[in-house]
Amino acid sequence: MATIEIDGRTFEVDGDGFLVNPKEWNEEVAQLFANQDGTGELTEQHWAVIKNIRSHWEKTDMAPMVRSICQDTGIRLRELYGLFPQGPARGACKIAGLPKPDGCV
Amino acid sequence: MSHELTDKQKKALAFFDSRLNSKLITHLISCVHCGLCGTSCAYYITEERPENLPAHKVDIVARIYRRYHTFAGKHFPQLTGAHDLDDELTTEMIDSLFGRCTMCGRCVAHCSIGVDIPFVVRTGRMMLQQMGLVPKSIQSTVDAAINTGNNMAIPKQDFIDTINWLNDDLQFELDDDTVTIPLDKHDVKMLYTVNPREPKFFPLSISAMAKIFYLAKESWTLSTDYYDITNYAYFVGDEEGAKLLTERLINETLKFGADTLVLGECGHGSRAMRWEGPNWLGKPYPVKAITVVELIAQYLREGRIKPDPAKLIKERVTIHDPCNLVRNGGVIDEQRYIISQCCTDFVEMEPHGIDNFCCGGGGGQLAMSEYNDRRLRIGKIKADQITATGAKIVVTPCHNCVDQLSGINLEYKLGVQIKSIAEIVADTL
Repeated sequence: MATIEIDGRTFEVDGDGFLVNPKEWNEEVAQLFANQDGTGELTEQHWAVIKNIRSHWEKTDMAPMVRSICQDTGIRLRELYGLFPQGPARGACKIAGLPKPDGCV
Repeated sequence: MSHELTDKQKKALAFFDSRLNSKLITHLISCVHCGLCGTSCAYYITEERPENLPAHKVDIVARIYRRYHTFAGKHFPQLTGAHDLDDELTTEMIDSLFGRCTMCGRCVAHCSIGVDIPFVVRTGRMMLQQMGLVPKSIQSTVDAAINTGNNMAIPKQDFIDTINWLNDDLQFELDDDTVTIPLDKHDVKMLYTVNPREPKFFPLSISAMAKIFYLAKESWTLSTDYYDITNYAYFVGDEEGAKLLTERLINETLKFGADTLVLGECGHGSRAMRWEGPNWLGKPYPVKAITVVELIAQYLREGRIKPDPAKLIKERVTIHDPCNLVRNGGVIDEQRYIISQCCTDFVEMEPHGIDNFCCGGGGGQLAMSEYNDRRLRIGKIKADQITATGAKIVVTPCHNCVDQLSGINLEYKLGVQIKSIAEIVADTL
């Protein structure tokens, strides 16, 4: 298992940089991951997406469909892609502290 | 001194015996060590170490053949490069056959005697599968497909809700509230399939294809049960699983009374369904299986869809050829014809077509996070190819390639857009 160091803190991550221990996640960690992957300072819109993904995952153990993220937060799909340069899976889900979704992502 | 085989190793060897025909033996014993495969392989070009040589990957499996199937190997293994199937060898097999090969087949095209290297690699992967040694990250993708009907375990209602949501947007875009993205519609001509990453995270390509079908006045449907074109079982060497996934799509096509299964933009899925599936089933399909790239080209040729001259793409475009669709699948000219109809400034990558380099994400690499570093490193070749074209848009008919290209786009700061064929065509309609 790999580790990454951001701002002096070390996190255990998988090869794709997804957090291994979900309990390590909090809002501060999310901001650290966002700084590191090019997303930058998290805005209210980012937080709406991240919290939506996080709460869906805590309930169902799965990342939500991008449709439900858009519908729940009122953010349009193209705006969402713009908010997270690494995309909804490798960007938003990673910042939300989820494990890497299976499949071609 | 040979080691005591475990039950799983015995199972893998029995499987190997069952596969050992003249074709496999020929490919295992014919390497002349010319080294041409090395200079064709993205891994070896990126890092010149022996374990990256395609010939070395073949040799790993050949060691097992020599050890258990040749006189010299049985009695003098050390002198003949034979090796027991033991933990040391299986560790090397996992690292090389899963972790250092995208099964792109470029080495085969360059091999001086035509050894089918990915065929040997796949045989080695099958042996690992028999021993339960497939990397967990990719095995979970296979399990999801087999157990839930799609490789991302998307619940049925979530898929339906997403399609209906796309439908509303499409009606708005086309200003026509009679447009529908048909779900489970019977008595249609075609069943369309998608990569689950489309409904889950990147649904615009589904809307794009629905727009094309609508304008071409096609009779088609999506299934809410089995719509997944991917076949990761094929990658991991699980032929029973690969057969099951194939059967599902064929049966689904028949269920809706369709005579054509349209293979969505997925390289390995198209190859598996088009070329391997009938072998797994042991008979020809009762329906046609056609890639969506060929179908869109046909619509354009027949004038069923017509790009709007005012909407043609003027930015420079290049094509990335997915290995499984192009080198290993024979779909070469159709995507170029499509681009010629939709774009005004097209530049080929060098090399391209059947000699193209893999994006770096093939063979299941995108699913195996343990090899992420290697995947991005070999992607540098593709990044340099793209940069040399000066293109602003890279079009590729494979969602797996799209994801890898998006990764290297960020990693190497290429600043390009990555699009599927359906997306670029739909933009001009």
